[in-house]
Amino acid sequence: MKRLLLFIYVCLALPVLTGCGATLSADRHDVERLLLIQTMGLDSGDGRLEMSVSSGLGPEDRPSLVMAAGAASIEDAIARLQNYSPENQLFYAHVQYLLLGEDAARAELQRVIQWVDRSPTLRMDTDMLVVKGAAKDAVVGSSQQSTDITQRLASLNRQARSNGWTMHTLREVAAAISQGDGALCMAVSAQSTEDRVFSEDQQADAIIPEGYAVLDENGLVEFLDPETSMGAEILTGDPTGFLISVSGDTLEILDGAAKIEGRFDERGKPAGIDVRCELHTGVLEKAKDSTLSDEELEQALSRTAGRWVQDALDRARAAGCDFLGLRAAVLKKPSAAAAWWDEWQSLFPTLPVTVAVAGHIDRSYDLAD
Amino acid sequence: MNDRLITKKQFAAATVVSLLSPLLRLLPQTAVGFAGRGAWLSFIPALVPLALLTAVVTSFRRHMRPGEGMGGLILRWLGPVLGRLVLLLFTGWFLFYAGFILRSGAERLVSTIYPSSGQGMFVAVTIILSLAVALGDLRAATRTAVIFRAILVTALVLVIALSLPNMDAGRLRPVTWRDAGPIALGALPFASVGALTACFTFLYGYADLPRDGKWHLWPLGTLLVLGGLICASVLSVFGPELTHTLTYPFFVMIRSISLGDLVPRIEAVVIAAWVGTDFMLCVGLLRCAHEALRPVFGYPKPDGRPMLDLGGGRYLLWLEAGAVFAASFIFDMPPWQLRTWSDRYIPLASDCVLYGGFLLLWLVTIPKRKKAKMAQQKASL
Repeated sequence: MKRLLLFIYVCLALPVLTGCGATLSADRHDVERLLLIQTMGLDSGDGRLEMSVSSGLGPEDRPSLVMAAGAASIEDAIARLQNYSPENQLFYAHVQYLLLGEDAARAELQRVIQWVDRSPTLRMDTDMLVVKGAAKDAVVGSSQQSTDITQRLASLNRQARSNGWTMHTLREVAAAISQGDGALCMAVSAQSTEDRVFSEDQQADAIIPEGYAVLDENGLVEFLDPETSMGAEILTGDPTGFLISVSGDTLEILDGAAKIEGRFDERGKPAGIDVRCELHTGVLEKAKDSTLSDEELEQALSRTAGRWVQDALDRARAAGCDFLGLRAAVLKKPSAAAAWWDEWQSLFPTLPVTVAVAGHIDRSYDLAD
Repeated sequence: MNDRLITKKQFAAATVVSLLSPLLRLLPQTAVGFAGRGAWLSFIPALVPLALLTAVVTSFRRHMRPGEGMGGLILRWLGPVLGRLVLLLFTGWFLFYAGFILRSGAERLVSTIYPSSGQGMFVAVTIILSLAVALGDLRAATRTAVIFRAILVTALVLVIALSLPNMDAGRLRPVTWRDAGPIALGALPFASVGALTACFTFLYGYADLPRDGKWHLWPLGTLLVLGGLICASVLSVFGPELTHTLTYPFFVMIRSISLGDLVPRIEAVVIAAWVGTDFMLCVGLLRCAHEALRPVFGYPKPDGRPMLDLGGGRYLLWLEAGAVFAASFIFDMPPWQLRTWSDRYIPLASDCVLYGGFLLLWLVTIPKRKKAKMAQQKASL
């Protein structure tokens, strides 16, 4: 009996030992045929979507495969992309960056979140960026023989981390907007380097950071200019590494923290928001004709940073979109949260805000000092 | 101690492993649907109905004879007609539920890892393997469960530890007294999954278990704590609103985990390991169904015979496996429809059968228990 069972077992095992064909499952693919897509771009307009993809530079500097396809749905666009490259199996499990064109960010954000949720390969923790203009322009325009969009975004990501900017993931955005708050997402634009880069094989478009895009559950709300974005970063993140130009002098933020607290009336209703920020900086370069003392420079720094923070707060209140996480910061006490958590969206745009920024010059790298 | 009997540790391992499958099917979305951001605390109020059910089950356990399970006790106490009817109802439920487990497990595997594949292969392979194990010694199956438990709990701890960088404790707050009601409602899925431990009373005849109910709380407590941990980790990664809308939030969370550049993705391994829970539950339910049906025909225990021996009522196991396979086709439906069954109708039916059924049995058998107690007292005098 055991021999009979063994024989049956071997017979059953034979069909699956013949390699990674699609004999038993259409999900099986030869590893050699897999083409790893590393960056995806999505645009929309006139009821259609356009998906652009880049595979990244291959081994031995094999150029990146860049393609784009338009269709009525994301899945349809992906199927068309596969038709354009039948010799490869496009594989989306290693996508590192997801670019949303301005129009797609405005109209298709929820569709993207649902699609990534259902996708068995894509990750919610993929870095997401909003492109001013079309994502396809960034994906296609920044690809060349020796460089491509993934390489440029990886470089931007490294730079962003050391310069105080934060690249947010789709999960962070989705989690924030699903609870009714807004979310920040890095905004970029593709710019020609024809008159900046003079090596012909490197003249692909550059990806330039443009501050943050504000998103809510309906999609893109607005773009913040870089200075207001710095104010938002001071309030929500870690601004360490930011370079600030104050009266011609260049300062680098060495450390920064914001404290947001709520003011409440006698009935416990929120009556205002107090924001206090501490910025510790170092002088990187002094202007040749700079006459400011350290105290005057600290005051100018406080005024400049204060204006950015105030701008960020004003934009949040004007848009009625709490992309700065004020709710959790103000309604810390359980009693306040119990009473006002659900009413926050209508409440916070009416609350007066006071901003106090204390700038400190901790050290100077300027040899003249 | 009898070497042929299942030890209480093996029994607890089999219980925990089996119930991890429905636990992840209902949690965290269903609990979040009721309790919002407080869902991670809902395992605490779930202790109340589960303690009640444990007390009921324990009261039955005290009256079971050596080697006897719930099936034998029901037949002895309710008589040949009513007893057989009740046992047939339990058998029907176990087979129907096993069919649902097969299909929902297949849907989970297919939609999370193999989108282009059909569910038929998974369903067929699982029922064949389950039948093969159910035809063998039950103790061997529980020894397998001990290994599965180690693998799954390690995977769970690893997943939660590796997700720590993505967690934000702020997403678990604020929880205030106003959330007490929703948190209590959020206990429903926990209580529904925990109640499935009552199914395994039909296998008590194979186990060397204490007669008090304290040990019963160990697997239940482990399950509830694991459920609470799963809810807390998923909620702190996605927040309550996003968690509620995602299809399989726990597996979406796993998809984002990597061990640096060494192992970029681990979800296929973890999700595949979770198939073990469907398999163990299917084996458990097949044997529960057999233990409910066997006394109806007066057949002996099926263990200790060659695998393909059909004598002694062992043919019933083949028929039961066929019934489970057939029941799985009832749930051959689109994923959104299966989700509705999974979140609403199946837990409701399960609660009616397990809480309602066992409570009703307890009420009906009050005179029997009193009589048995008096007889015991007389004997001791």
